Amino acid sequence: MGFLDRPRAPRGGQKPSMDHPYVPSFPSTPEDPQTDSSVSLLPHLEAKIRQTHSLAHLLTKYAEQLLQEYVQLQGDPFGLPSFSPPRLPVAGLSAPAPSHAGLPVHERLRLDAAALAALPPLLDAVCRRQAELNPRAPRLLRRLEDAARQARALGAAVEALLAALGAANRGPRAEPPAATASAASATGVFPAKVLGLRVCGLYREWLSRTEGDLGQLLPGGSA
Amino acid sequence: MMDIYVCLKRPSWMVDNKRMRTASNFQWLLSTFILLYLMNQVNSQKKGAPHDLKCVTNNLQVWNCSWKAPSGTGRGTDYEVCIENRSRSCYQLEKTSIKIPALSHGDYEITINSLHDFGSSTSKFTLNEQNVSLIPDTPEILNLSADFSTSTLYLKWNDRGSVFPHRSNVIWEIKVLRKESMELVKLVTHNTTLNGKDTLHHWSWASDMPLECAIHFVEIRCYIDNLHFSGLEEWSDWSPVKNISWIPDSQTKVFPQDKVILVGSDITFCCVSQEKVLSALIGHTNCPLIHLDGENVAIKIRNISVSASSGTNVVFTTEDNIFGTVIFAGYPPDTPQQLNCETHDLKEIICSWNPGRVTALVGPRATSYTLVESFSGKYVRLKRAEAPTNESYQLLFQMLPNQEIYNFTLNAHNPLGRSQSTILVNITEKVYPHTPTSFKVKDINSTAVKLSWHLPGNFAKINFLCEIEIKKSNSVQEQRNVTIKGVENSSYLVALDKLNPYTLYTFRIRCSTETFWKWSKWSNKKQHLTTEASPSKGPDTWREWSSDGKNLIIYWKPLPINEANGKILSYNVSCSSDEETQSLSEIPDPQHKAEIRLDKNDYIISVVAKNSVGSSPPSKIASMEIPNDDLKIEQVVGMGKGILLTWHYDPNMTCDYVIKWCNSSRSEPCLMDWRKVPSNSTETVIESDEFRPGIRYNFFLYGCRNQGYQLLRSMIGYIEELAPIVAPNFTVEDTSADSILVKWEDIPVEELRGFLRGYLFYFGKGERDTSKMRVLESGRSDIKVKNITDISQKTLRIADLQGKTSYHLVLRAYTDGGVGPEKSMYVVTKENLAVAVIVGVVTSILCYRKREWIKETFYPDIPNPENCKALQFQKSVCEGSSALKTLEMNPCTPNNVEVLETRSAFPKIEDTEIISPVAERPEDRSDAEPENHVVVSYCPPIIEEEIPNPAADEAGGTAQVIYIDVQSMYQPQAKPEEEQENDPVGGAGYKPQMHLPINSTVEDIAAEEDLDKTAGYRPQANVNTWNLVSPDSPRSIDSNSEIVSFGSPCSINSRQFLIPPKDEDSPKSNGGGWSFTNFFQNKPND
Repeated sequence: MGFLDRPRAPRGGQKPSMDHPYVPSFPSTPEDPQTDSSVSLLPHLEAKIRQTHSLAHLLTKYAEQLLQEYVQLQGDPFGLPSFSPPRLPVAGLSAPAPSHAGLPVHERLRLDAAALAALPPLLDAVCRRQAELNPRAPRLLRRLEDAARQARALGAAVEALLAALGAANRGPRAEPPAATASAASATGVFPAKVLGLRVCGLYREWLSRTEGDLGQLLPGGSA
Repeated sequence: MMDIYVCLKRPSWMVDNKRMRTASNFQWLLSTFILLYLMNQVNSQKKGAPHDLKCVTNNLQVWNCSWKAPSGTGRGTDYEVCIENRSRSCYQLEKTSIKIPALSHGDYEITINSLHDFGSSTSKFTLNEQNVSLIPDTPEILNLSADFSTSTLYLKWNDRGSVFPHRSNVIWEIKVLRKESMELVKLVTHNTTLNGKDTLHHWSWASDMPLECAIHFVEIRCYIDNLHFSGLEEWSDWSPVKNISWIPDSQTKVFPQDKVILVGSDITFCCVSQEKVLSALIGHTNCPLIHLDGENVAIKIRNISVSASSGTNVVFTTEDNIFGTVIFAGYPPDTPQQLNCETHDLKEIICSWNPGRVTALVGPRATSYTLVESFSGKYVRLKRAEAPTNESYQLLFQMLPNQEIYNFTLNAHNPLGRSQSTILVNITEKVYPHTPTSFKVKDINSTAVKLSWHLPGNFAKINFLCEIEIKKSNSVQEQRNVTIKGVENSSYLVALDKLNPYTLYTFRIRCSTETFWKWSKWSNKKQHLTTEASPSKGPDTWREWSSDGKNLIIYWKPLPINEANGKILSYNVSCSSDEETQSLSEIPDPQHKAEIRLDKNDYIISVVAKNSVGSSPPSKIASMEIPNDDLKIEQVVGMGKGILLTWHYDPNMTCDYVIKWCNSSRSEPCLMDWRKVPSNSTETVIESDEFRPGIRYNFFLYGCRNQGYQLLRSMIGYIEELAPIVAPNFTVEDTSADSILVKWEDIPVEELRGFLRGYLFYFGKGERDTSKMRVLESGRSDIKVKNITDISQKTLRIADLQGKTSYHLVLRAYTDGGVGPEKSMYVVTKENLAVAVIVGVVTSILCYRKREWIKETFYPDIPNPENCKALQFQKSVCEGSSALKTLEMNPCTPNNVEVLETRSAFPKIEDTEIISPVAERPEDRSDAEPENHVVVSYCPPIIEEEIPNPAADEAGGTAQVIYIDVQSMYQPQAKPEEEQENDPVGGAGYKPQMHLPINSTVEDIAAEEDLDKTAGYRPQANVNTWNLVSPDSPRSIDSNSEIVSFGSPCSINSRQFLIPPKDEDSPKSNGGGWSFTNFFQNKPND
């Protein structure tokens, strides 16, 4: 059953009716004014979730293509199956943790949104580096540019969704660390290539994770 | 070596020993002993004095001499050293060395006297500069540093040259050692000169291995070579060793990082690691590890190949990590090729060039270009040129005021090197104008327009040469060049005249400077229709009198576009004579003919064409036709598409000539077209798209004289002659035993398709079922050909023929275009009666004399069948009664019926044969119908056979045909049984009709047809070929059967004529009865 399918007892002991279906919302807080008023937004919310999920699904595919193209253009041994550099941490961007699946869905989406917000500057830095290394590979450069933009858009969509669901981050959103961009522009070319590979891989992983997390909000999802 | 000798005080006991020399052998032994003793004493004395004097110098100014002290002496020994030079110099010393100023060349005696407690000893040495060694002081490395990025060591030391009085050459030997084990990796010599001053020297060395990978040591020594020093020169000692090492941080690193090297170079990579390195890859290739100190490793790559855009990856793998670097192998910039500088607008100079060989370096490593103008010192730079391969680069350089000559140098630079190209240009001669824009056309008048366009740039000082392309529809394009002074405001204008009114033009323009460098691109095309003007000429006019001679028909041709000068709206026609003028006004344009009723007066016809602007000059022609009695019709033949007409010059013809032509088959007045040619012409070629080959045309040449036209010549002709399409119809007029008279008709003109040049008449022996004449042209000797060139001849008698012989006659007509199809005919000449009479008489005599034998053979006695009751006799054979059951064995007169397939034309019947009518065989018809020639012999019927025939049924009933075979009269009616069995159906001879199936199917008939080919006479067998229509009906003509049988004359039910009616024109048949010749031959034609 998806998150939207799960009926939740309305506050105040009211029973759900056909006119007022249950809203899929996170546990409300007194300072969350949207919780009650969002009851009438269910169709809109569902459409929004579907739309965002579709976007995440599409971007996951794009991210896979980006990763393949990136690997092809870095030269051997990047393209060799045996080549697996260690999954080094990237400053300003955490890798999806194994415990991610155990978190509540709203928490997962918050992490997704944070990662998606951290990715664009990293992708931009990778794009800049690749513009020097592969200036005659316009498709890769375009994919990287698109990826940064799309990550930003998806992150914004997830945050908007969280807000609509009453689970928005409280307080100002943490800006990505300033070191993020400089980290992407690593000193040597080889570390930069490896870092670019890592960023592209993380981008794909976070998109896939976001797609899965959004899917759990949909009817039939396991959330 | 110094010559040193020792001067000793002689002891007294040595004199005593000499007195004892006269002793015995013992004395000899004693002497030997004494000698040895003395020698020992001498050596002892030597060691007892200063010895081994040795002098060295390190600066050529001071000699440092030292000697060894006498044995047994120690401290407290004093030495007196005296040098015998020009003066004697002595030095008191307490040590065994002395520094003395360098001595000049020559030997010097050195006396060293040692004074010690137990005595004194003196040594003398001879000292020369040659015995002095020059050993420089040990050098010292002032500084050893390293540039790790370039793996270069920098060494600095002082030569201490100030201590040397003379200029000397110094050889420095520098040793580079690597690793803790101090493996020698480089030993080099470095030459310098001592110039009397202390000088710092530098030496650098680029290591093939990154300096970070291993510790490097350096030491140095020197060797001074002084020309003025004659002593021994020796190497100094090695300096104290200095080392360079990189202090690794905790992070493993690979060196060199991101290096750019030349393709084909050798390079060493190393990995400074705290953990064990397992493998190393360059690209996807594994490399053997070279172990350095600790866990550090290196790999050596030889002849590295060109890198991809993102470089070549070098990766070292440890247990749980990878480390790598990227190398960029490429080329230095090629010399810029095809450097060219030009300007579009005299404001900006565009220099373009081809980069030449690809460097394989991109991004920050790509070639940067700098374009420097040497006169002004200004430059522009192109960084990181990323243009694709094969594409040229370009740089823009702002033009400088009042400078026309530019000297450009293009410098190319990348991490691997630099190159350059230069060009000197006068920029005013290198103007490549922009494409003209805003191209417009405006009318000035009907023959002139104004062209304007925009050409951006400041061209005030130069002139343009512009090319204007003028294109008319269906016309060759014209190009005009105009010179225009350049302007500052970029707007240009030019007038273009000598155009045609009312003509659609397409203009476009391009420009270059007068000192041509390049044309600009063509401007856009602009279409423009010039305005109308009055028609420049009157229409081309002709006139014809109508067939009744009452009306004059005036023709005129539409004006060509270049004369109409606009859209022709109407025509005015007027006919003027002295008495009257008739006019027809405003005849609308599509009409080009007018008819005016006139009497026979002479008129001047005037035709005027009008358009919206005005009228054309009148076109005039006189109606009068001057008669010409001396007129012949000539023949002309054209050539290809045209026909050449020539005539003699006639000074009387004052205006012009007119050639009029028409199709000869058209009715009068015949006019297809006309053409006027000037009066001074004597020939013209008439061409028309309407001319067709094989069509006869009439051509009339008129001459214009005194405002009247006279028909000068009348011609018929063909544009091209073709062969006739039909054969001439011909008939046989008369036949005798030795000749045939043939007559033919003319071929209609339409079918002749050329001028008739004659006939070809072929004749030879032949029958219709043979194909002799098919090879008429193959030159058979028995085929005779007669070429009849007299086309008026319409008959031909062929003589000297054989009697009673079938001849095949063929007639063909021919023109210069070829020979037409043939028409053929078979004719049998008549019998020669004299010969026949003689043969008859002889036969009669023979028959008479052999009558008994003949009777026995042909007429044996026959029992009277009337005695047989089983048989009943018919009253009449020909009654056709169905009760007819018995055989009629009585001999009857054998008959031959010749059935002739006839057409309405000319059947030829000769004797007992009926010859088919003339069969027309067009030349090109290979499937011409076979000629049918059937001779049917028959006897009174023995079998009555009823043949069902659908055609006959339709005709109204069944046909009963009764046959009697003539052979059956003379051959046994029935063969013995055995013979019958041995004689298959397919055998020759008589086939009794009894065996024929009455109701044969088509298939059976067809099968039997094959058998019939080898059989004898069997007319009944092929019932399908029986044709119950009359011989002269179309159906009989169309039959394709080789043999056409017709019903018997005895057929009682047939409503058809079996023998055609006698044709009056045909040769007379001598009847269908028995023929004498048939008695002797079954095939009369053989």
